[in-house]
Amino acid sequence: MTMSGLDKLTEGFSRHLARTTSRRSSLAWLGAALAGAVAVPALPVSRAAAAEPKRAARVAEDPGDPTSCDYWRYCAIDGFLCSCCGGSVSTCPPGTEMSPITWIGTCTNPSDGRAYVISYNDCCGTSSCGQCSCHRSEGDRPQVRPQSNNDYNWCLGTESSIYHCSAAAIIGVAIEP
Amino acid sequence: MRLATTALALMLSAPCAAQTASQPLPEEAIPSVVTLPASYPPSWILVHDLHTASILDGRMVIADTADKSRPLKGMVRAAQFASSLYSPSRREILTAETFYPRLTRGERTDAITIWDTATLRPKGEIILPGGKRQQSVTYSGLFQLTNSDRWALVANFTPTQSITVVDLDARKVLNEIDLPGCSHIYPTGERGFSSFCADGSMISITLDDKGAVASSKTIEGVQDIDKQPMFQMPAMIGKTAWFVTYHGQLKAFDLSGQVAKPLDVNLSVGAAEGGAPEWRPAGWQVIASDAKGRLYVLMNPAGKEGSHKDGGSEVWVIDPASGERLSRISLPNGATSIVLTREPTPHLVAARMDGPIDVLDAATGKLVHSLGSRIASNPTVLTPGS
Repeated sequence: MTMSGLDKLTEGFSRHLARTTSRRSSLAWLGAALAGAVAVPALPVSRAAAAEPKRAARVAEDPGDPTSCDYWRYCAIDGFLCSCCGGSVSTCPPGTEMSPITWIGTCTNPSDGRAYVISYNDCCGTSSCGQCSCHRSEGDRPQVRPQSNNDYNWCLGTESSIYHCSAAAIIGVAIEP
Repeated sequence: MRLATTALALMLSAPCAAQTASQPLPEEAIPSVVTLPASYPPSWILVHDLHTASILDGRMVIADTADKSRPLKGMVRAAQFASSLYSPSRREILTAETFYPRLTRGERTDAITIWDTATLRPKGEIILPGGKRQQSVTYSGLFQLTNSDRWALVANFTPTQSITVVDLDARKVLNEIDLPGCSHIYPTGERGFSSFCADGSMISITLDDKGAVASSKTIEGVQDIDKQPMFQMPAMIGKTAWFVTYHGQLKAFDLSGQVAKPLDVNLSVGAAEGGAPEWRPAGWQVIASDAKGRLYVLMNPAGKEGSHKDGGSEVWVIDPASGERLSRISLPNGATSIVLTREPTPHLVAARMDGPIDVLDAATGKLVHSLGSRIASNPTVLTPGS
């Protein structure tokens, strides 16, 4: 294959980012799992929902284009970017429901050098968005470690398991292992 | 204007003259539907199409890799992150799917549909209770056969993990086995399976005649998930499952007995010049075998953390008996999934997740033909047709 073909396949795999899933994020996922698929009281979703989207005011500290697969928060995403589907980097498009159970990436913000725990919440209930397909797998591990795997349909605990797109919300700064 | 009228008259009259000079085309019997051979020829493969543009409308495609002009022979439905299975002995294709009555909304139904290989029509259905079937990008290990192909095993994920045991002949669910912390199904022994677990171990489970757990055994320390994780879909050589790790080590498990037996092989795909930073396996279905027991591994020269699903530009051929690397095959268009046909002279089928499928001579590595994207939108898992 030509290198350009390879480039096309590899899409945004240009940066080598921190990837260790923190103990905190593992526990967050475990907590969600223990709580079950329906009654999920806490963890990634409530943080994502509570977070006020303030990117516009802090764009220098959160650099990049959230409609581009190269954007730093997408280091372990696999799916359609909600920013291209009527939502944003941390919100689901209208008509969909955000999954309360997620997989986790640890991505480094090039602006401040910090490793952030990113919750990749799937948005569910409308058929495939089909826009801005993005596949990056830094820190992705086999399905035997679910919280670190981006191949699952994470539309779990939602009214419908139909997958639409994936958001990428900051849920904290990673604690180094 | 007159000139134009004359030209038009000539154009219209020419076909009429031709028709009067020969017999009309015969009438054709309709309705008419094609039937396939119940046992597929060795050049045929089955291609699971995730169909990402509309995942709820996925497909399983039957294709003839030797037919350059019309490779697509038929398809069955494989809806909503379906798992699919092909059983030559049953002459059936099986799909485990999820449905909603209002397409995207309503009460969820999970079911196995049994499709006839010749007619591609459904001949049976088994409802899977609980709405818990695991949905993910296609993996062979989510839906497998055991008990001489009479039973199917379905992986569940809610995210609580379990396995549903199904009697295909009786068209009923037999049991559900809790399997916390473990994932994927590798048929083991006469009636049982093994799975990998999150602590790096493997578990082997035998089933009684009711589908309940008869015995289980844990094999510790078979995988370093952080540093040397295994791609989850193995290549089978007989009853031995060959896995390759993200860094190119080869691991073998004998699944012929009741308990999976890790084989003492110290093999790797080897190294090569030209990697930046290094050659590593990469893609979706990255390891395949041929009928002679050779292994084929899809390799990427830009191997690094996170590159393991990027697809590869070469296939490295390894003889696991000698440990020798026999050849390196260059793929003109790259691939994310590979499989070998079971023809006397096997062909290497190289599919890219964005559609194109190439057919190469596995011995010479030469391109036989490119089938383009005429088989599937998003080929994920490839299965030999015989």
